[in-house]
Amino acid sequence: MLGALGLITFRQWRAHRLRVALTTLGIALGVAVFFAIRTGNATLLDSLRATVEKVAGKATLQITAGESGFSEKVLDTVRATPGVQLAEPVIETLVQTSYSDEGALLILGVDTAGDQQLRDYQFDRSQTQISDPLVFLAQPNSILLSRAFAERHGLKVGDKLALFASDGKKEFTVQGTFKPVGVGEVFGGNVAVMDVYSAQVVFHRGRKFDRIDLMNAPAVPVEVVQQRLRAELPPGVEVDRPEVRGEALENAVTAMRVGILITSFVALLVGVYIIFNSFTIAVNQRWKEIGILRAVGVEQGNVSRMFLCEALLMGVIGSLVGIAGGFLLASAANRVMRGMVAAVYGVVATAAPARLHLDQCAIAFVLGVAASMIGAWFPARGAACVDPALALHNIEARHSESAHGWKRSGMGVLLIAMGAALVFWTPSRLGLPIQFLFAAVVLLGLTLVLPKLVLWSARALRPIMNWAGGAEGALAVDAMIQTPRRSAATVGALMVGLMFVFSTASYIQSYRQMIDRWMNQVLNADIFVATSAMLRSSSYHFTEDLGRQIAALPGVKRVENVRFTAIPYRGDTAAVIAIEMDGFLERSQKAIEGADSRTVHDLLTRGEGVLVSRNFALRWRVGVGDRLTLESPTGTLERPILGFLDDYRSEKGTIFMDRALYKKYWGDDAVDFIDVDLNPGVDQLAMKQEVEHLTAGSFHAFVYTNAEFKRWISSLVDQFFTLNYMQLVVAVMIAILGIINTLLISVSERRREIGIVRAIGGLRSQIRKLVLLEAVAVAVVGVIVGSVAGIMNTVFMSHTVSIELAGYSVPFYFPWEFVLLSVPVVTVVSLAAGWWPARNAARMQVIEAIGYE
Amino acid sequence: MIQLTNVSKSYGDSGAVQALHDLSLTVEQGERVAVMGPSGSGKSTLLNLICGLDEPTSGSIKLEGVELAALDDDRRTRLRREKIGMIFQTFNLLPTLTALENVALPLRLQNLRRRETEERAKAMLERVGLKVRAHHRPDELSGGERQRVAIARALVFRPPILLGDEPTGNLDSATGEEILRLLDDLHREFNTTVLLVTHNDLAAAFCDRVLTLRDGRFVKEVRTGRPVTAPGPSGERQC
Repeated sequence: MLGALGLITFRQWRAHRLRVALTTLGIALGVAVFFAIRTGNATLLDSLRATVEKVAGKATLQITAGESGFSEKVLDTVRATPGVQLAEPVIETLVQTSYSDEGALLILGVDTAGDQQLRDYQFDRSQTQISDPLVFLAQPNSILLSRAFAERHGLKVGDKLALFASDGKKEFTVQGTFKPVGVGEVFGGNVAVMDVYSAQVVFHRGRKFDRIDLMNAPAVPVEVVQQRLRAELPPGVEVDRPEVRGEALENAVTAMRVGILITSFVALLVGVYIIFNSFTIAVNQRWKEIGILRAVGVEQGNVSRMFLCEALLMGVIGSLVGIAGGFLLASAANRVMRGMVAAVYGVVATAAPARLHLDQCAIAFVLGVAASMIGAWFPARGAACVDPALALHNIEARHSESAHGWKRSGMGVLLIAMGAALVFWTPSRLGLPIQFLFAAVVLLGLTLVLPKLVLWSARALRPIMNWAGGAEGALAVDAMIQTPRRSAATVGALMVGLMFVFSTASYIQSYRQMIDRWMNQVLNADIFVATSAMLRSSSYHFTEDLGRQIAALPGVKRVENVRFTAIPYRGDTAAVIAIEMDGFLERSQKAIEGADSRTVHDLLTRGEGVLVSRNFALRWRVGVGDRLTLESPTGTLERPILGFLDDYRSEKGTIFMDRALYKKYWGDDAVDFIDVDLNPGVDQLAMKQEVEHLTAGSFHAFVYTNAEFKRWISSLVDQFFTLNYMQLVVAVMIAILGIINTLLISVSERRREIGIVRAIGGLRSQIRKLVLLEAVAVAVVGVIVGSVAGIMNTVFMSHTVSIELAGYSVPFYFPWEFVLLSVPVVTVVSLAAGWWPARNAARMQVIEAIGYE
Repeated sequence: MIQLTNVSKSYGDSGAVQALHDLSLTVEQGERVAVMGPSGSGKSTLLNLICGLDEPTSGSIKLEGVELAALDDDRRTRLRREKIGMIFQTFNLLPTLTALENVALPLRLQNLRRRETEERAKAMLERVGLKVRAHHRPDELSGGERQRVAIARALVFRPPILLGDEPTGNLDSATGEEILRLLDDLHREFNTTVLLVTHNDLAAAFCDRVLTLRDGRFVKEVRTGRPVTAPGPSGERQC
């Protein structure tokens, strides 16, 4: 029987090629976006892991202590630990070159004596006369370059290369090049090697290393060596396998990855509505055929299976096409993601071509097929329930479909209420998957209510359209009133797309407002000098000397050196802002909530307490008065928490402490930002130019006035959400496919009606107008329900998702301006979607149309 | 008013199906003409050509002296909505519009002011005796009522020409008679030129002249009432 039903389906597909093509394209686009993001993400993680692994070489364990590094003495302890066969110190830093078109160069400072046992350096003998270039690195300011970098800039042995070191621009002598294998492959070939002790001096590391890479003796298991080292080394110094460091990098960018992955589902979700729409249409079109099939003995189950098999086939084709398309898009997605992690997290990943991950293919395929089956499920069930006697009546007997009854709408309202209550009143520690389940319940409820909402909205819209669009306007809305369920599917697709667009815009607006308020409270210096165009650089820093030079400029009232770094905390990381508290408190006292201001001032400036950001307090469940224990390279630091303040620079949470305290425990006097306060009446722009003049050519410094700094932070926020926006645009595009689908079917179903209007004097242009106005009506209703759903989703995102991912809730703000602006935009897009169906309608042969049944 | 000269219409590749053969017909102002004939004789094709929904393969069709072939689609449509009222066997009302909205539709398509269209549509509905059903949708009306609404829609803009395609074909005989009486009254009132294609003898009897069409040719012409074109005895003649 299924063979016969398959034949019927095949004929139907041939007869409705366009509908089938648009529907399959809907699935394909959804899968493509999902797959592109997943593959881009996997490529990014591969790249982060590969960099760590290649730099690690044969190392089985790595010793680190956050970004501030640790004392050289640790190396002696490590080498003296039984089971350690080889231990080599490393300084790893990204520096800017004097080539303006070149990105950062990864500098590996290694011990010239023993590192070749650990890492693979394949020296280019053709480029150097020396037998062992590493030995020559011991000469000050000597450097070995990857062949790729050297060739790109025409550098030969003996040439000079200028790099920005902590205390200014320095010239290095090229001593040789190495091939693009092993270490030469790291960081896309933008890699150089120099002596670790020279690197200490040049990059102002003092007598510290960033890392020790070690190999255990073959006879001693690596776990045993790890345990021994942990016992021997001071607190704050961590011993991990290289792959764990890779995971830590992944962990650092979790919020971004999760955020992007969430939005990558949106396109698939919209695809479900497109399938639902398409199959509702198919069942309506084939009403009589279903009646005949039922009359000749096809069981309900087989009718349902016929439609589900169709969905399965569409899902398979759409998913395969989507995977292929997604793979082509993956490199672009990866590029955007790399930009984001670099700008926001300061994590620089190597550019790498997208690689086909079979597990991602399988996930995308299964989800694409599942989306197709889910979308087709209810229409297939509806087809099975068709009353054959009624269906065999003349098709004209069915003037309109009913919106679902009150029972189903009531169920929808109940689900919305239940889902919303669960989102609001269950603790966030239930975890994101459970919270998303609650949000899905709300969305399901909305979907059930949608036919009624569409019906009411269309009825409310009719007088307006009648008034504004004339008879064509009224007829356009009538199409929605006639088929509320079909229209609901289209509106649903648009609703989901717009819901996420609105709520993302809303979230960004809310986030921006929150950031603005915070910047006004905390970032109120007149001039900011930064080490990076990104939020921060994890490896390039200024020295305090630059601060002293700036302080000496006439008109400068005060200079505060700020260290913004990350330290290990309870198996995770936390951000640390070490700042001269006197000045900071003078400007930002009002932002602090906790003990009285006098106590806070006294204890903080003496280094006898710390402040934490609210998301830190929420994440680690600590309060004012609790004692915070931090492991530093020089020992355990325990201080009371004196107060909270808002800070959004790290989703892991931020600890504020006096700079002197930080320097004492971490032995780190690097500077990431210099906050400059000016005397009253001093022009910020003029001072900015002076600071730029001071740093030009010697420091890789970015100088901002207060307003510029705030604008720059805002642009980082925008950059953070770029990919979300791009995905949402695709989701709306898929929704537009739904509009085209619906309008084409509407034109086909209303052929006779259109023929009558033409017969009694309707011009082709009026028919075009009628169809286009229907597109406008769908768009307007879509915007209305999309904004309602958007409000709900914004609350969900700013409350639940934000707390889960970043540890803070974002104050709710709904971007009404954006919604209002979207009306003309969505209308124009819908009009564009309606253009082709409208053209078809206008070209319809009147005589055939009137005779059409 | 309506003038057909040597009109032929064929369909298919190289004119495989000849629907009308070299027809000539003149219908004068205020005249009522019925075209009768069996199914497939070309009645509907003739009507479609006259109202400009279709184009003849050869020959000329003039309405009030305007050559249809000289007009593009939009002009033909405008001519249709200003000069021709049409009634159909299947009523062809728009199911989503009320009776009043259906009647007002041709006026609204002419972009007349809403108040005016509504007043004229109401007056027309009153004229066909359906004022009380103005806000009902077609599926809430009987067959006779639907055809009255269709007639009101056809005449609401006072067209000089009324074309009817089996206007009583879907109605029982009593209702059909009622519709014909209404058409007769309206014809007297508006002096509309009427061309009906019909199977119904009663409908034909309502007309001044009855033409019989067979295989795309007029085979008989009968004058049933007052002569319009020229004085002469009423009676039957072979074409």
